[in-house]
Amino acid sequence: MFTQFGATAESLSKASTMVFRIGTDAHLYDDPDDVNIAPLLDSKFDSEKCEALKRLLALIAQGFDVSNFFPQVVKNVASQSIEVKKLVYLYLLHYAEKRPNEALLSINYFQKDLGDTNPLVRAWALRTMAGIRLHVIAPLVLVAVSKCARDPSVYVRKCAANALPKVHDLRLEENTAAIEELVGFLLNDNSPGVIGAAAAAFASVCPTNLSLIGRNYRRLCETLPDVEEWGQIVLIGILLRYAIARHGLVKESIMLSSRDLENIASENGASDTYQKGNEDSNAYFGLKESNADLTNGVCKSEVVDIVSRSYLEGPDKYLSKHRCADVLSSELEGLHFTSAKDNEDIKILLLCTSPLLWSHNSAVVLAAAGVHWIMAPKEDIQKIVKPLLFLMRSSNSSKYVVLCNIQVFSKAVPSLFAPHFEDFFMSPSDSYQVKALKLEILSTIATESSISSIFQEFQDYVKDPDRKFAADTVAAIGLCAQQFPKVANTCLEGLLALASHESTYGDNAATDGEAIVLLQAIYSIKAIIGKDPSSNEKVIVHLIRSLESIRVPAARGMIIWMVGEYSDIGNVIPKVLPVVLKYLARCFTVEEVETKLQILNACGKVLLHSKEEELWAYRKVLSYMLDLARCDLNYDIRDRARFIKELLSCYIGSSDTEEGKAQQESRDVSRVLAGRIFGGQIKAPSSEQFSARFYLPGSLSHVVLHAAPGYEPLPRPCSLNFEDPSINSNIVEGAKRPGDGATQSESYTDDPDSVSGSLNEESTSDYSYADSIGGSDGTGGSNVSSSLSEVDVHKEPLIHLSEVGYPNANPDGGSHVDNQYSGSNNLGELISTRSLESWLDENPNSGHNLSEPSSIRKSSARISIGHIHGRVEPKICALLDPANGNGLSVDYAFSSELSSLSPLLVCLQVSFKNCSTEPMMNLQLVEDNKRQDSSDHASAMTESSSHGDVPSLVPMEEIANLGPSETINIMLQVRFRHHLLPLKLVLWCNGKTYPVKLRPDIGYFVRPLPMDIGVFSAKEAQLPGMFEYTRRCIFTDHIGELKKGDKPGTNDQFLVICECLAVKVLSNANFFLVSVDMPVSANLDDASGLRLRFSGELLSNSVPCLVTLVLEGTCFEPLNILVKVNCEETVFGLNLLNRIVNLLAEPARG
Amino acid sequence: MMQCIFLLSDSGEVMLEKQLTGHRVDRSICAWFWEQSIAQGDSFKFMPVIASPTHYIFQVFREGITFLACTQVEMPPLMATEFLCRVADVLSDYLGGLNEDLIKDNFVIVYELLDEMIDNGFPLTTEPNILREMIAPPNIVSKMLSVVTGTSSNVSNTLPVATASCVPWRKMDPKNTSNEVYVDLVEEMDAIISRDGTLVKCEIYGEVQVNSHLSGLPDLTLSFANASILNDVRFHPCVRLRPWESQQILSFVPPDGQFKLMSYRVKKLKNIPIYVKPQLSSDSGMCRISVLVGIKNDPRKPIDSITVEFQLPPCVLSANLTPNHGTVNILASKVLMFFDHTCSWSIGRLPKDKAPSLSGTLVLAAGLERLPVFPTFQVGFRVMGIALSGLQMDKLDFKNLPSRPYKGFRGLTRAGEYQVRS
Repeated sequence: MFTQFGATAESLSKASTMVFRIGTDAHLYDDPDDVNIAPLLDSKFDSEKCEALKRLLALIAQGFDVSNFFPQVVKNVASQSIEVKKLVYLYLLHYAEKRPNEALLSINYFQKDLGDTNPLVRAWALRTMAGIRLHVIAPLVLVAVSKCARDPSVYVRKCAANALPKVHDLRLEENTAAIEELVGFLLNDNSPGVIGAAAAAFASVCPTNLSLIGRNYRRLCETLPDVEEWGQIVLIGILLRYAIARHGLVKESIMLSSRDLENIASENGASDTYQKGNEDSNAYFGLKESNADLTNGVCKSEVVDIVSRSYLEGPDKYLSKHRCADVLSSELEGLHFTSAKDNEDIKILLLCTSPLLWSHNSAVVLAAAGVHWIMAPKEDIQKIVKPLLFLMRSSNSSKYVVLCNIQVFSKAVPSLFAPHFEDFFMSPSDSYQVKALKLEILSTIATESSISSIFQEFQDYVKDPDRKFAADTVAAIGLCAQQFPKVANTCLEGLLALASHESTYGDNAATDGEAIVLLQAIYSIKAIIGKDPSSNEKVIVHLIRSLESIRVPAARGMIIWMVGEYSDIGNVIPKVLPVVLKYLARCFTVEEVETKLQILNACGKVLLHSKEEELWAYRKVLSYMLDLARCDLNYDIRDRARFIKELLSCYIGSSDTEEGKAQQESRDVSRVLAGRIFGGQIKAPSSEQFSARFYLPGSLSHVVLHAAPGYEPLPRPCSLNFEDPSINSNIVEGAKRPGDGATQSESYTDDPDSVSGSLNEESTSDYSYADSIGGSDGTGGSNVSSSLSEVDVHKEPLIHLSEVGYPNANPDGGSHVDNQYSGSNNLGELISTRSLESWLDENPNSGHNLSEPSSIRKSSARISIGHIHGRVEPKICALLDPANGNGLSVDYAFSSELSSLSPLLVCLQVSFKNCSTEPMMNLQLVEDNKRQDSSDHASAMTESSSHGDVPSLVPMEEIANLGPSETINIMLQVRFRHHLLPLKLVLWCNGKTYPVKLRPDIGYFVRPLPMDIGVFSAKEAQLPGMFEYTRRCIFTDHIGELKKGDKPGTNDQFLVICECLAVKVLSNANFFLVSVDMPVSANLDDASGLRLRFSGELLSNSVPCLVTLVLEGTCFEPLNILVKVNCEETVFGLNLLNRIVNLLAEPARG
Repeated sequence: MMQCIFLLSDSGEVMLEKQLTGHRVDRSICAWFWEQSIAQGDSFKFMPVIASPTHYIFQVFREGITFLACTQVEMPPLMATEFLCRVADVLSDYLGGLNEDLIKDNFVIVYELLDEMIDNGFPLTTEPNILREMIAPPNIVSKMLSVVTGTSSNVSNTLPVATASCVPWRKMDPKNTSNEVYVDLVEEMDAIISRDGTLVKCEIYGEVQVNSHLSGLPDLTLSFANASILNDVRFHPCVRLRPWESQQILSFVPPDGQFKLMSYRVKKLKNIPIYVKPQLSSDSGMCRISVLVGIKNDPRKPIDSITVEFQLPPCVLSANLTPNHGTVNILASKVLMFFDHTCSWSIGRLPKDKAPSLSGTLVLAAGLERLPVFPTFQVGFRVMGIALSGLQMDKLDFKNLPSRPYKGFRGLTRAGEYQVRS
């Protein structure tokens, strides 16, 4: 009946699992290759592609190599289905390294995806492209990363940060600098999510470049609690390293507790010895601090000393030094110290890490605890104890790691954990390793008051079914008994009972486990007796009596050793000794080798210590045993017998007295020798584990106890020096500005410059060019200013100059890249630079820097700000350069005029110039998709104007004829449907077509909205929170301008700065300058607080858009500018913000 | 950083491999791992960090599935461990449990999840709420849909808005038809009762679990009547730490759905709800065993699901145990190479008329006179409706909510590591 029922139940459960599995991918995993995958991949249905890809994934999961499908899979990267895309990416990443050539086929699509409006698609594309890890595409990836690092989406920026280590992994020397700059840039990000990823990138790319941290230290500390948990783990470590490198160790911390603080305090304590100083410092703390529990000499200064030195130098280096040199190496004497009480940087680090001790991520807690362990003042260190103990409850796997760390902490400062001994009691779910660690910690932190409870526990553990653990417990009991003589007696009783209990099982020796426990028990007893043999005579006798029942050879050996060692102690032992020796002699032949050796030794010792009257009896026993030993099968025993015989010949030898004097002498010598060998006080191996290796808390090396590759000890204290003393003072007085690069020393001011400069250049996708610009960047102000003055006088030549520069500066980006790559490896065809260019060149000006006329001029007099409009010059960009257009050059500039047709249209000033010698006919610009004839354009125009829908381009009048070196200017009205993407147009000339791209400038999607400051503030107040976007950037243009400030009237530095800024903004965007607020500052050089306000409204819907620039820094330094945009249109506002930041950060060029 | 993640079934088969960086890890390392764990047994099985000849291996073992992560360079070991635990949590949440079949059946989702959770060996998105928006968990509807139409995508094509917000754990503006929030105190009591029957240690590990279905961006404040009894605390990232530091108030913007707001510990408790008295006496190769169970300090709420479990020592050949209430099962489980006999006595509720007892004899291996080692008894129980630590919630306030939601509070205590030594 029941079997029947069982069967039904079984089939039922089978059926139910079948039902359960329907609709999952179970069949794909079970039989991935039961259909032909190849045709599925080429199917036109996404669902079939999906199935094929899932089958491939299943094969990968099962460890098959399916890389032969690579070419077919790569094709599918173009799929629109997001699931197909994801699956293809998974496949690609698995095999890209194996099939580099085919992988390159996919690059195009990634580049296209990188321009997608969906941030998820951009992020995936970037992740996969960077994950492909091919050397040849590294430059492209780097460009993509630097682009994505400025993406409006936090997620994409985060992925950009994650991509940096991937590029770094390829180990391309030429990219290192660019990667590090990007890391620095991302560390500066506003979003905590990005900072976490940037910190991880920092840790794997340039962990030693701590100056990058210095710039942002405070801001990083402050955002630490908001950073996502994984980033916190890494960031905490970085901040700790920075703080040590910058400020050194904290003198109140544990790390320095053993150092000679007197020396440091008043540099006259040189005569003090190490020991003395040590005591002094302890006494000092003991007196001064109320927390006597912690500092009352309980902290084991020697261990602490080793620990702290190991942290600083790495244990291997430290240990090797320790062996050959004095403990107090002079090298560390020169350390600098700081105090947690007055150093703001240290204070803030401790303050910001302490709430992390409550994190639900155990790794974060441990990392935060590590910082406090190293940096916090001793009296505050208590704070880490409870969180660490709580960690043990989180998961069994983390328990072990946490205990490994607690072990070191408790070794150094046992008093920390002493009150919490109950937390280390075993729980049934503990693994053996965890139990062993707990035992060790318990025996370390035991105190007079807790020892009795701990012993109670130990007694229970001894009966644990895990005998190995029971043996460890016995060892721990031994250790504790040695530490606390008070309890030694109880221990001995317990151990003896245990030994006799265990020995009853000795006969059948059921398990090895029992033997281990017994052995350990005897060993512990031996160790306890060793402390005070004379008072433990009874125990020895007890043990000797149990010799009969103890069968474990090693245990017997140990007892016999005790017989020999303590043969002359007390009253009882000498009395029982003859009997014991006879017993040993009787069973000598049946003993194991090690026991035999001990018996021989013991007899030797007994003989040595024996008094005259017993000598004879012992001698007899010994020679009997020596005879036995001489015939033993084991040569070790035969050797030992011979040796002892020779050594003790004076005792054993015949009692004849008529021997030669020489013999008498040799007898004396051997007597002394024997005394030394057998009676010498053996120094127990030092219990201090000087050989123990300590690695930084929370590190992998600490758990595996060797330096894992990539392990770095703490940096040398105070190894990070700043050239500029102003930084020091800045930090000490607690500067209000976090993350501020402008006030940094000269060596740093170059950095932000070159970051922004070179990055902008990179977006032109032309690297050789970037170099030359970088060079001109570095040459500084004087060059620029001289060329500027020229520019000012002759405006025409400047433009001309820039045109000459075109072939160099602005080739068709594609051809250049082609050249670059086709030379090295035929990549030219594979990489379409078009798509790359299309999304990279969002900023119309970035590719045309040389053509950009400098709008910066020397100011002639004190001018009111209103006059500035007269000096604003729109930037001219090239649409077609003469090299590509058979001598036709077309430039355009955005104009501030407003279109009369529709508010959606933007006006452009287009100038056609014929640089060739032939006249040109029938010039016209039309939209790409409309292949209009010149004849019907008039009708098209009427159509478009009659319709409500606005065309992309209001058709222009055809220029019938353009003579050689003639220039015609035309006003063009264009509608950019997308803020960022260029508009594709076709230029007709002489019947030929030239594709051209018109790049939008977001700055001209607005029109000035005049208002006064009151209205401005009111509007600003209406657009708070999510309508407000801010970013920081570095502005340097004014430096050059100020340096030629010897002209009269230009000595007002603020005015020059304002003008520079205003002109730069107004030349690139169609705004109204509302007001300029001068800073109120006592310091003439301090430009902080200078505030410029601009206003405008969107062309399309008249939504107001407000821009505020706030300056920080001093006049002759690069200025840190906070750009704030208030606008209801989120996307527009963010894009505009990015545009303005890029614009300001990009240095002016002559 | 982690280089590779492997998922192993309980027979040592590699179910999944996910390479994370350019430095590939060959799956032969799993074979090495498995050989070692067979050779070394338990102690290896529970090593969270293993130094193999070529890589460092981090190991997390959950319900038969072994999660391995490999690295060759220095990294915080807890980061890997914690991450693997998160992966296990997310997977069991998605798949409704963890076992070999579930993982194999849903391997595509596992791959997709892993890909979102980790990038280049560094954790990327681990917040379950966001993951759920990116990759839809399998459910009946999607399964049926895929059967009927053959198409279903579980990959979302939009980026969850929360990735950009300052409260990344919360979906942006979830619309809930119900407007309610439940706060549960779920406590586990850990206790050690020594051989002589004295209470060595008794403490409570508790969690404040919140199940919130609120619309908009609500701001909640929860305060306790006696926060001072809390020994240690840990918080969900949504909890603002400053208010806690200053006034011991929990102020937070909750994620949607079920989450663990806070975990805490209350130490040095004196009262245990039930007692278990084991007695073992052995002579001449037999061991008599009797176990008594009863109420010690009545929590004034019914105690149910009482179980007593202990492992028979390896030297026991056979056991004959009979209870006067409930049922006894002796289960042989094989952990790697070692057989473990676990005796489990399930009592359920305590009967009114008698005290439950278990008695019987154990037959020892030949040659053994007496039982040399003594098993530890693990006790399980559950008390509904009360938090035995005595922690009391004071009030729950709302801000930023259009209408007053329905609030519910509950307490529950169950046995954690409640062990009685014999």
